Order: sequence, then C-alpha cells, then structure tokens
Amino acid sequence: MKKALAVIAIFALAVPAFAQSGDTIKLGGTWPLADITGKQGSMAAQLAVEEINAAGGVLGKKLELIVIDDELKADKGAAAFEKLITVDNVDVLVGGMASGVALGQVPVLKKYGKVYVTTGAAASSTVEKAIGADSDWYFHLHPWDYNQGASYAQGWDEIQKKYPSIKIKKIFLAYEEGAFGKSSFDQTKVLFGADKRYVIDGAPFKSAAQGGGDYGAVLEAAKTFKPDLFLWAGWDADALPMLEQAKAMKFNPGIYLGAPPGWPIGFGTSKLSDNVMFYGMWAPSINEISPASKKFYTGFVKKYKEEPATYFAPLSYSAIYIIADAIKLAGTVETNALIKALEATKYASPLGQTITFTPANIIKHQGIKNQKILQWQNGRQEVIWPFESATAKPVYPFPKWK
Amino acid sequence: MKFKTSYLVAAVVAAIMIAFPTFLGAYPLNVARSVMTYMALAITWDMLLRSGQISFGIAGLFGLGSYASILAVLRGGMDPLLSIVFATVFSGAMAYALGFAILRLRAMYFSITTLALMEIFRIVIHNMHDFSGGPEGVVLPTVIFGGNASALYWLCLGGLFITIGASWFFEKSKMHLALTAIRNDETSARSNGVNIFKYLLITFVVTSAMQGMMGAIQVQSYGFTAPDTAFDANFTLLPLAIALLGGIHSTVGPMAGAVLLGVAAEWLKLKIPYGHLIVYGIIIILVILFMPQGIVGMIRRAGRAAGRAGKQTGANHE
Repeated sequence: MKKALAVIAIFALAVPAFAQSGDTIKLGGTWPLADITGKQGSMAAQLAVEEINAAGGVLGKKLELIVIDDELKADKGAAAFEKLITVDNVDVLVGGMASGVALGQVPVLKKYGKVYVTTGAAASSTVEKAIGADSDWYFHLHPWDYNQGASYAQGWDEIQKKYPSIKIKKIFLAYEEGAFGKSSFDQTKVLFGADKRYVIDGAPFKSAAQGGGDYGAVLEAAKTFKPDLFLWAGWDADALPMLEQAKAMKFNPGIYLGAPPGWPIGFGTSKLSDNVMFYGMWAPSINEISPASKKFYTGFVKKYKEEPATYFAPLSYSAIYIIADAIKLAGTVETNALIKALEATKYASPLGQTITFTPANIIKHQGIKNQKILQWQNGRQEVIWPFESATAKPVYPFPKWK
Repeated sequence: MKFKTSYLVAAVVAAIMIAFPTFLGAYPLNVARSVMTYMALAITWDMLLRSGQISFGIAGLFGLGSYASILAVLRGGMDPLLSIVFATVFSGAMAYALGFAILRLRAMYFSITTLALMEIFRIVIHNMHDFSGGPEGVVLPTVIFGGNASALYWLCLGGLFITIGASWFFEKSKMHLALTAIRNDETSARSNGVNIFKYLLITFVVTSAMQGMMGAIQVQSYGFTAPDTAFDANFTLLPLAIALLGGIHSTVGPMAGAVLLGVAAEWLKLKIPYGHLIVYGIIIILVILFMPQGIVGMIRRAGRAAGRAGKQTGANHE
C-alpha cells in the first residue's frame, strides 16, 4: 500500500502549474543556451528588447522576451514552442540555431501558424522541405546551405579576379560527419564542381564536439590532394585542435579556411589563428563601416562585459528589431497584418547589410542569402569579401608552418 | 489483500494518466511524452539489469526502431501506426539474431559489445545515403494523428503501458526468480535447472523490442529522424541515471526516477535558463552518492526502520 501511495504521489508531482502574465507584447525565443551561438544569440536578443523598451517600446507597450533553452534537442525544442504558444501566449516566435531542433519544431509551428522569425537552420533538404511553400508565417533570416554555397562561389570568383595572385583550382573539404558537414560537402560539390572549373575532393571527420578530435586521416588525405583551398566544416571545438594537427603534419594549403557557426572565445589570441580564413556574417571590424554594428557591439560589451564571438548575436539582435519594426508598421500583432508588415522589411542590420525578405527555393520569406569571407589577421577578424564591406585585403598564401 | 490493493492503485493511476489530456494543455502533454519515453527506456534497461547484464545499447535499439518505422512509411508506404508494430517486431528480431552472439558474453564484455553495436547501427544508417537519408536524415510529410497533442500523448502512454505491463509480468512471474538466480550466482542457477541462455534471450528480445517501439513512437510523433537524433547517447545515459535515481531491480524505481528527473529538468530549465544543466548534473551526482539504493530503496528502508521503531515502542509499552 505504501508503495502504491508513493506512486500516486510521484504522478501528482508530474502535474505542474503554469502561470499566465500581463499586458505586454510577448516574444518567445528558443536557442541552445549551453552553446555559444545560442547563449550569445539570446543575450543579444534581450539587449535589443531593452533598447527598444528604453526608446518607448512598441505601440505604447513594452516588449517582453521569454527565452527557453532548446538543449539542442528536437523534443525539447518542440516542447519549448508548445509552452511559449499555449502557456505564455507569445505574440511572435524568434530564435533557433540547429537544423535538427528546427525539424522537431516544424509540426508545432504548422499546428499553430504563429509568426516565426528564425535565426537558425541551414539544411534546405530537410528543414526547408518540411516547412514547405505554404508557410507564410515563416521568416528565415539565416541563409540556406545552397545560398551559402552560391555566395562562396561568387566570392572566390570575385577575389581571384581582383587579386590575380590568388589562384584556386583544387578545393578539399574536411567535413564533420553529421548533417551540417554532409550538407556543406554536397553543396560545395554542386556549386564549385558544376562547370568543372574547380576540382573538388573531401573526407569526413568526427568532430571534437561529438567525441572525436583526431583529424590525422582527413588531414593526410587533404595533404595528398594538395589543395589550393582547404576548407573545414565543423564545430568551434574543432578549430584549434585541427590547426595544431595541421601544424604537426606540416600541412600548408594556399588557403586554410574554417566554416564553424561560431569560433571559440579567445581563438584570435592564439598565434595559430593568424591568417586563417573563415565564412561568417559578422565580425567586430564591421563596426568601422556600419554604425548599426557599432551600436550593437558597444551595447553588447557594455551590458555583458564580453565580446560577441558569433554572428548569431547580431543576427538575433536584428531579428528583434525586424519584429519590432513590423509590429509598429502593422499597428497590431495580428498574424496576417504582421506577415504583410514583415514582407515590407528593410532593416539596416549590424551585419553590414540591409535585410529584406525575398523568396528562396521553397519558402517565401528568405532574409539573408549570402555570407562573408573573412580572415583572422593579428587577432582581428577582417572582412575580405564582399568588397563593399571589406575591412582588409587578404593575406595570401597561408604562411608556411615554422 | 495487499496484492489486490496494488492493482487497484495501479488502475487509479492509469486512469488519471489516461485522463491527463482532459485537463492538461499541449505543453505539459509534450513534457509528459518526453518523461514517458525515458521512463519506458529506463524500465527496459532495468529489466535486463535484473539478470546482472548491463546494456549500453539502448540508443542503438531506439534508433533502429526509429528508422525501421520512418523508412517503412516513406519507402514501403506502410500505415504509420502499423509501422510502429513493424519497428517493434524488427527490433526484437534483430535482438534475437544478435542475442545468439552477444548473450554468451558477461559483465563488461557484454556492456562494451552493446555499446559497439549502437555505434555500428549508427554508422550503417549514416552511410546508407539513398535509403536512409544519410547524416541529414529523413522527414515525414506529416506526423501521426495530424500532430494532435492528446492523440500523441495517448500513443506514447500506450507504449509505456506495454512496457510497464511487461516489466510487472517479469516481476510477478517465474522470470523474476530465474533472472534473480542468474544475477546472484550463474553456476548455482544452472545447477538448479535454470536455462540461462533462454531467459537472457527472452529478456533481451523483449526489452529491445520495446526500445525499438519507443523509438518508432518518437519518430512518428516528431515526423523526422537523423542519425545524430535517433542514436543520441542521451537515450542510453539518461535511462541509466533515471533507473539509478529511482532504484534498480524494480518497475516502480525507474518510474519514480523518470518523473522526478523529467519534472526537475523542465522546472530547472524554466527557472535557471543559463545554468540548469549544471544544477541538473549536480543533483544526479549527489543523489547517486548519498542515495545509492535510489528513491524507492530509501523509502523502503525508511519504512522498515519505522516498522522496527513501532515494534520496539510496542514492546517497551508491554
């Protein structure tokens, strides 16, 4: 009997009480808070909310941002949206990073049709396909994998034209064995290998973030291939160990380039980082050419006493401003009016570019379609391409290891 | 009388659980599904543990069930509900075939082999690009029951009830005696006529089938899977932590552990968004350090102590 009563008591605990809250415009965001991208993304979104509220709010109301950790898990991400929509009654959804989590959230999003301005998900073959063409409420800021691939191809073409000493024929891609790495490799093959101007090869590796960290085999394959451009697509945990092993193996490609979503904090202070190129959307050096970037950067450092280390911070900050502007324009948070207002978005973002929404391959509302090519130079992240946002000239070739 | 009371209480609890969707919203039902999934996995892990065998292959069987179900729908055009049955049978059949090889192993050799099998399943799925979608995974056109929160909850609850039923059957039948005898002393069990391999195989097949079933329910509820999601090490590690927290060698222990850890995890996440995983980890370590018998073991010990104190007081009065 005691055992039985204990069981009843345990199940009674499983019925939590959830509270409602008052008269504000509520935004609900999910990010992976234990990851630098989600942590700084959510912090930047909160910064934007505070700036907007300090300037008088929106439609005479304060914005409130409710953040829930998606833990990089699909089921947790889906549960978080259920809570934000049905318990917190948020007006707009925001945030996101990993494609795997986004996929778990798709059924919930489709069920409620709540306006979602998302900062994450690049896997077009799964996420964009799952969202479909009819989801008018879906506003995707982050470029899809094919957008990124196309912009890199364009970037390298233009760089080679402007700097004739840079010549790229052979490209090797070391990619983490998960969805992110594989889709990067597939897109690279399609976009760079299409007209036979480039010779593409690649090999997978197990990321240090997933219990791997030995890059010997993939670096050996790359060394044998003798690439002009060596590119790796993995996670921030791979950045330094891969460089260490490349140095140990005296692997000297013409260009050494990384494409993780975020770099480890302090990567620039390592001597190994010098002249490493990377793909990204933002760097602190953009402050020199963009007042919006400077405002964001100064506010972030002042509030949090740390530097934004990932483009997810200015991207999430931008998402909040885009939503706020759209609510102002619509004069309401009613879904159809808000969608129309978001479609009229023209936001000069801290990313050094103006964000508008145009159709992608499947979805109707794609924000950013290109990334930037950057380079670590003397501990600073300099923009190399596009040239209108450039803060430095490229250092080429990647210096030989001493 | 005690026997009947237990069943009565179980029926009341079951009725309350079935009725949850009438008074809980979509969010608590979603959390409940997560709790029930881990509860079922923890129970199945414990069922095999009752024989003394520690499996690290839960995520492997869970992932296998996920893929069997989603690929049966996508490639074979199977009805989603039927695909869950198919995935259950498929996982059980795989376990039956593998059981002949790995159930001859004992202790850490068995554990490491189950861990390796999990990785092998993941790698195979990972590399069957055209069939399984490779690392990027596969997506269903729609989720089962159109994503209706109540229906998804009842589906998961159904899977949990089957698991609890099997576990209770194992506890109440001669399986319990056989598995306990194997755990205590295999040589002695064999000399008493216990067919060790048969009982281990039955347990391994049944628990694997149920792990596959929960994977199939999960994949049909979220409408997609990928190797990193389906074979996530959390599906192995969390059920272990849950069973240890609740108390091993019983059905009610993993149930208690799953509810407490599941609710605590969600509550901590809402209260401490930026540090909940650290607190969660510390709680698990502290509980395992200071309550090695688990919650149920501690309650039983407290009950026995109270009983002894009562008797002593009675004797003193006499």
